[in-house]
Order: sequence, then structure tokens, then C-alpha cells
Amino acid sequence: MTVQYLPQRLSIIVPVGSRRADLKALYAEYKAGVVQMGLPHEFVFVLDGQRPDAARALDDLLREGEEITVVHLTRPFGEAAALMAGFERSSGDAILTLPAYHQIDANDLRKLVGALESADVALGYRFPRAGNALERARRAAFHGMVKFVTGARYRDLGCGARALRRQVFEELDLYGDQHRFIPVLATRLGFRVTEVAVRQSPQDRQPRIYRPREYVHHMLDLVSIFFLVRFTKKPLRFFGMIGAITFSVGALLITYLGIERIAFDEQLADRPALLLAALLIVLGMQIFALGLLGELIIFTHARSLKDYRVEEVVQYPQAQDVDSDLSADGPQEEGQTSSRNSAMPHTAPPAVA
Amino acid sequence: MPLYNEEESVRPLYAAIVQALGALGCDFEIVFVDDGSVDRTVAIADELARFDSRLKIVKFRRNYGQTPAMAAGIEHARGEILVTMDGDLQNDPADIGALLEKISEGYDIVVGWRYKRQDKLISRKIPSRIANWLIGKVTGVPIRDNGCSLKAFRADLIKQIPLYSEMHRFIPAMASIAGPRVAQIKVRHHARRYGQSKYGLSRIYKVLLDLMVIKTVATFASRPLRWFALLSLPLFVLSLAAFTHTLIALFGSTTEISLPIAGTGIIFLASACVLLCSGALAELAYSRGDVRDRDFLRLTQTVRGPQRGQ
Repeated sequence: MTVQYLPQRLSIIVPVGSRRADLKALYAEYKAGVVQMGLPHEFVFVLDGQRPDAARALDDLLREGEEITVVHLTRPFGEAAALMAGFERSSGDAILTLPAYHQIDANDLRKLVGALESADVALGYRFPRAGNALERARRAAFHGMVKFVTGARYRDLGCGARALRRQVFEELDLYGDQHRFIPVLATRLGFRVTEVAVRQSPQDRQPRIYRPREYVHHMLDLVSIFFLVRFTKKPLRFFGMIGAITFSVGALLITYLGIERIAFDEQLADRPALLLAALLIVLGMQIFALGLLGELIIFTHARSLKDYRVEEVVQYPQAQDVDSDLSADGPQEEGQTSSRNSAMPHTAPPAVA
Repeated sequence: MPLYNEEESVRPLYAAIVQALGALGCDFEIVFVDDGSVDRTVAIADELARFDSRLKIVKFRRNYGQTPAMAAGIEHARGEILVTMDGDLQNDPADIGALLEKISEGYDIVVGWRYKRQDKLISRKIPSRIANWLIGKVTGVPIRDNGCSLKAFRADLIKQIPLYSEMHRFIPAMASIAGPRVAQIKVRHHARRYGQSKYGLSRIYKVLLDLMVIKTVATFASRPLRWFALLSLPLFVLSLAAFTHTLIALFGSTTEISLPIAGTGIIFLASACVLLCSGALAELAYSRGDVRDRDFLRLTQTVRGPQRGQ
């Protein structure tokens, strides 16, 4: 099997967090996998926080003359932030992110990179995958929730092996623990995402015990992605709806209480329902106000927060015999003519005939 | 102009525009925005662009919708006057001349009005009648046909207007925050010749929601603190009333303080404070944003004096 799509240069970014294997063995394995592709490549290790043992291992590698870049972050910023830091140091036109522990079979790396031919992001998913029923149920639940939130089904968001084109990373703005949701965010930006089956590494087959804290973190990440994907564009629609419902329930309740007070002489003062109604009204107003605030922020920043991505701007340079340009009609047209073919404020170069 | 899967329309459209504008004898450029078409729209437009440097194509990576397409087109256009139109040949480029004429009379926005509309009566015309009436009432810009894409704008103004979500139908309404001089003229409208119409009845609900959003935002945008304060005023009054009631109960020798009423007073007071804080936050967002009354004022003012403002 050969790699069809050949990037000019491949950058491999390995964020080293709290979960890590022996980096020397890991590096040897990854390197063997990458060399198979026969591409110029570079390794960037990002130490997310103080990791003395990992730092030592990488120092050893450096001393042995391996060509790797090591970035030390002073405190743990999160895996996604580490990826971004690594990306800043990389120069390849294709980026391969790899986990700092044995997760996949390094021989399948070329499959991942090869998939970039027809996609901008290639995600690895471990297949066949070990795990008992409980594990599988947990994974299914997570991915089911992701599907509910984003509308797309992914097979293995926990897999740290991904290949991305450089442009994807340039436009992604990751922070915290968003690395798991790279495909979601990339899809939002209009990139093509594909999934590639990779074999699982034997060391990854042992069941892993998650602490409750990690579950909570995953859930919170999911919630933040949920808001990012669904409501950042139309906050008032969402919050306004909830607020209006809450408000009207409260208003109905208070009307009912008022009618009882007037018509049936039921004393308001000793009815806790009054408190409930007041709370609902107030809550409704505040939720609405929050939505309004969000909408205002978007409204006043709409021109800088562009919610679309231009792939390229095509304009061919002026041909020799364009007649209408010769007839300059007035002074106001001059600026138009001169700036037309020059300023091209986008990253993609104009295609040339 | 936005294009989405309009492969048959591109060529005739281009030809019609060039012909119409050529007749006017002015300098122009054409910006096609390809909204992630999956058919041959881009390829055809590309071929055209090869022969005409006045044609610029802005390509989206995926389908974003008409408003972003509009916004991108506006961003990339370099002209002094921008004309937007549909990519489906339902507008007649020959009407552009009339639009430009109006602009030169001093209007900032000229909106086309599809005088004899060639669409289905039930599913298209009647809902649009109602929507237009509503939009006119709510925004105070009485335009008979907001849905008509054929519009002309002065570029410096339209480039200041925030466009997002699905606001393309409300461009004049959005622009009304800038206080422009709006005119409307009758334009011709053709039945669809090629392709499928991409809209249906389902958009009515969205239009109404968007309308409310625009109205609220446009109202609140320029003086957020004041509006939020207005919102919290009744709460203050209510809490004051509740506290008075409690105080009277406290000093008057009535039986006991009523917990629900005192509690309600506290809730209202707290909420009023939070609303005020939200207002302050909104004010902050506004002052850091890039939609400012000051700019609009400069763009739409007319200065009468020895020399004219334009």
C-alpha cells in the first residue's frame, strides 16, 4: 500500500500530559511508522506542565542526535493548548497529532496521512477495539451525546491520532480541552472530515479506569461545545425563548392569584405561590436579558466575528483588450479601477490562468 | 450576488449584467459569491472569469446561507455603489440603471419592488405580503418588498451594517439604525427559468423570530443601559411597594410580617440590580464593538452649506 497524497513536509505534534508512556520507546515506534512514508518530517513534543521524567527522556533523545523540538509549558494549559503551542513551532504542510502513550499501531500512520488526499482532517478510530461491555456502553453514551449536540456521529473522539492540513490548524482556535472536538469545530469551519480505521496498540487494550472527575470534565466540555455550536450565532432566539416561557408561566400564575384576591377575597399575603410567581417572572426577564446581551455582543461585533470562511477569491488579471476600462467616466471610478486587481486580502492566492 | 447551485443561470446572468451595465457606460465589477455549490456553478463562473477581469468569484468552503454570502460579497466588492441581486435570473439586470439613478438623486438605499411578481400566489405571494407589512410596521421602514434581492446601496453605508444569521431579508431594516434615505422603485420580475426555488413556507416562522430579534437589538443597541434600566424600573417600583407593605405591617400593630410579600420584594429588588448590571455589561459590549452611531451619523448626514457633503 502506498501513500497517494504526499504532503511536502509532515509535522508530528505530541502533547505530553499527565498520561504518558515511556517517550523513548514511543518515539522509536512513531519514528518507524513515519519513516515508512518517506517524507521529510519533524517531531515536536510539547510538555504540558512540569513533567521531569518526560523532559529527561526527551533530553536524552536530543543528546542522541535525534531531530526533535521540545516545547516546555510552565503550567498545564490543557492538551488543546499544547497542540496549538506545538503547531506554532511546526513548519509542515500536514500536521499529525499523536498521543503521548501507546494508543494506535504506528504502522497505520501512513493511512491517516494518506486520507488527507480527499479530506482536510483525518481522524483515527481504533478498530477493532478491545473493551468490555461497560467500556463500550460508556463510549456509546459519549458519542451518542456528541451526536445529539452536533448532529454528526463520530466513532472515536478519544483517539489522539489525527492528521490535519496546515490550514485547518491555522483557522482553528483551540483552548482548554477542546482537542477532542477538533472534528466538530473543523466541520463548523467548513473543512472536510473523514475517519480512518487504525489498529489499536496492544498496550491500549487494558481497560482504563477513569476517575469521576474526568467524567465531569468530559460532560462540561460537551456542554461548552454545545453552546459554541448551537447558540453562539443566535443567542436571543434560544435564551429569549426560554425566558419568554418562564416569564409567561410566572405571569399566568400571578394573574390567577390576582383574580383570586379580587374576586374571592383570598389573601395574597399568606400564599407562598406569590413567591414562586415573582421568581419565575424575574427569572424569565433575566434569561431574556442574558440572551439580549449575547445578541448585542454579536450584533456590535458582527463585522469582526465573521461567521463564514472564504475558501478563495478568484479574479484573473486584467486582459489586454478590456474596453470599458478605457472610458473612465468620472473621478469616483478611479479608486475602483486601481484597487480591483491588486488588494487581495485573503490567504489563498488567486489562481492564475 | 450569491450563487448556490445555479449552474444553468450563471452564463445568461453574466451576459445580462454585462449588457445592462455596458449600456450604462459606467465602470463596474461583478462579484459572484459561490455558496458552496456542489454542481458546476463554480467551473462555469471560473471560465467566465478567465475572460473578464471584472468578474470576481468568492468561494465558500461549504454552504453557509444567503446572508453570509451577501456579507462576503459586500466585503469583497470595491465599488462605490453596490447592487445586490439574486443569482436565479428572477431579477432583471436591466433595472440596475434605474436603481443607480435613484442613488445619484441622493438616496442611500434603493430597494426594488417586484411589481408584477411571477411566483405562486398561495405559497409565496401572500405570506410575503403579510411579512412585508409586519416588517414595515415594526421597523418603521415601509418597504413593500423586503424579499426582493435587487437593491442598490452606497458602499460606505452598507459596509457598516452588521449582517449575520439570516438577516439578508432585513437589510433595509437593519440599515434603518443608520437612518438612511430609502427609496423604492418598481422592478421587473421574471418567473424562474432554471433550477429549484430554495425556499418554502417554513421560513415564515424564522422571519418572525428574526424580526423580533432585529427590533429588540436595534432598539437596545445604541443605548443599552437606558433600556435595561427601563426594564428594571417596574421591578424597583414593585419591590418598593412590597417593602412599604412590610414596613407598615412591622410598625403598625397588625399581626405579623407576611413572608411571601417581603420575599417578593427582595426578589424584585435583587433582579432589578442584576438587570442594571446586565445593562452596564451591554454598554461595555457596545462601546467596544464596531457598530457605532457616530459612524452612521457621519455616513447619512447631509451638510448644507457652501459645499455639499457628498
